[in-house]
Amino acid sequence: MEFGNDSQQEPVTVFEFSAQDFSYAFVSVLLEGMPFILAGTLLAGLLDEFLPPGFMVRVLPRQPAAGIAAAAALGMVVPMCECGIVPVIRRLLRKGLPVSNAIAYMLAAPVVNPIVAVSTYAAFKGQAPLEMTALRLGLAFLTACLVALAAQTVRLEHILRPGLLDTNSVSLPLLDFQSQISIAARLGRALQTAVADFLDVMTFFVLGVAVSATASTALNQEVLLPLALEPWLATFSMMGLAFVLSLCSTSDAFIAATFLVFPAYAKLGFLVLGPMLDLKLIFLYQTIFRKRFVAGMAAGIFLLVGLMSLRLGVLVL
Amino acid sequence: MLERLRDGLVLGVWGAVALGFILTGRAASYLHPSFHPWLLVSGIVLLALAASVLIMPKPACEAGCACGESPSSTWLPWLRAVLLTGPLLATLVISPSQFGPVMVHNRGLADSLAMLPGYSAFRDPALPTPDERPGEEGPLVPLSEYLEQDAEGRIVATVADLLYAANIPELRRDFEGREIVVVGQFLPAHRNNPQGDRFSLVRMFILCCAADARPLAIPVQFPHADFPSMSWVEVRGIAKFPFEGGRVTPVVEGRQVAPCEPPTETFLY
Repeated sequence: MEFGNDSQQEPVTVFEFSAQDFSYAFVSVLLEGMPFILAGTLLAGLLDEFLPPGFMVRVLPRQPAAGIAAAAALGMVVPMCECGIVPVIRRLLRKGLPVSNAIAYMLAAPVVNPIVAVSTYAAFKGQAPLEMTALRLGLAFLTACLVALAAQTVRLEHILRPGLLDTNSVSLPLLDFQSQISIAARLGRALQTAVADFLDVMTFFVLGVAVSATASTALNQEVLLPLALEPWLATFSMMGLAFVLSLCSTSDAFIAATFLVFPAYAKLGFLVLGPMLDLKLIFLYQTIFRKRFVAGMAAGIFLLVGLMSLRLGVLVL
Repeated sequence: MLERLRDGLVLGVWGAVALGFILTGRAASYLHPSFHPWLLVSGIVLLALAASVLIMPKPACEAGCACGESPSSTWLPWLRAVLLTGPLLATLVISPSQFGPVMVHNRGLADSLAMLPGYSAFRDPALPTPDERPGEEGPLVPLSEYLEQDAEGRIVATVADLLYAANIPELRRDFEGREIVVVGQFLPAHRNNPQGDRFSLVRMFILCCAADARPLAIPVQFPHADFPSMSWVEVRGIAKFPFEGGRVTPVVEGRQVAPCEPPTETFLY
């Protein structure tokens, strides 16, 4: 912050909306995220057409907890960003991927991957980078597993949207039909699936970006600074900021590192929560899950991340 | 047929916008360069998908297969099409290709290197001298070998260069007391302006896109400067590094300040 004698005192406003700033941020984030959603939907279309039904059930560990852990760690091999992963998960669910495994991968993959590990380490040089990186990945993995385990206790019809609920099971007769049509025709169907998914997911993405662009440009971030003095307030306010800013997991560490007045465990909460839960993801998740489940999952993630960041972060950082 | 036309148009609009941003160079004002190839490829792919939706017949689809059939409601897809194109086109028209003073105020000016995203000191700071000023070390590389200069011999600097120079003694020696020219956006200075004769020169620093944009700022000493907020100005002056507020601060003693065109790349990376 600036030092020296103040020649004029600026009035502090908490929320000041500017149509110019909103439109600029809105277009910028849309153009940044759209290519990755397109890539995700193209991949999802190919998976839907060419991945045999039941394949996921065969390759994943049968023991539920082991399956969840394996799915949460899959991001180290198959990294995905938080925008592109949603359409992929939708199609994998149609292929019989257990819902708990899908949730674990969806929450963990944007964080538990080599790209985020490297960027976090680079961003926190001079601020315990190894500890921060290890804690970020570790807490994200743990949170994803715990949320997925909790989802196992919820009935499927309370989790999935009706369209997905009907198809989250292996349909064996489809195999015979698919073997009779040409590769070109199947590619055509994959493209059609991708187009449908793209239009569906982008609708929610546009809504989410509109809300996050409003909040990220209109909210005065300086009002958060006094909250840095109290551990609970510092942690939850940084997490709230992560929720509002809706940053990409590959670059959010560099932003978090600049909040010098906030303690390290508060920044840890920012880094773990952001890629799992933010304003635009709240909308994107509704392409898969029921609204009530999204709300419950969001509350659970927020509490889990906050409590673990406070408890573990204070001990280690 | 109408449904195919509708979906094809939506894809076509997005593809055209993506390609248009790249081909007109407008993407440089919105996204980090590393994202430009992604935008270019996705624009081409979207236009190809739009063409395929419009031209190709629907592939064979057996009842019950998950090939993304439209929902039974007839008006929701049309509402979706409006939602996908309307806000995008409207904001394209009103978006000014840069942030205004409200956002800069809300994000807070970064006027020290520690607030620069991604900055990390590559060496330990020198021990302070007995009068508590930061210590000095020897120069590394001659000035002429790495700093760009204009035709009149002024160093062409950026706001980030001067912030770095404030923290790195070797670099500071290359700038201190020398004539420089630096381009940025004008913002009245309400802090660190005891005599009321300073303004802030701002550049936006990004990692990915506008979502993570941080306004970097240095003070320019130039009485009676009066320009529209966030307008682009070129400052010619002398670089000074006084000790203010407990740290070395870069200040440009302005000799000439004039409006200028925005640079090709409006962001710093």
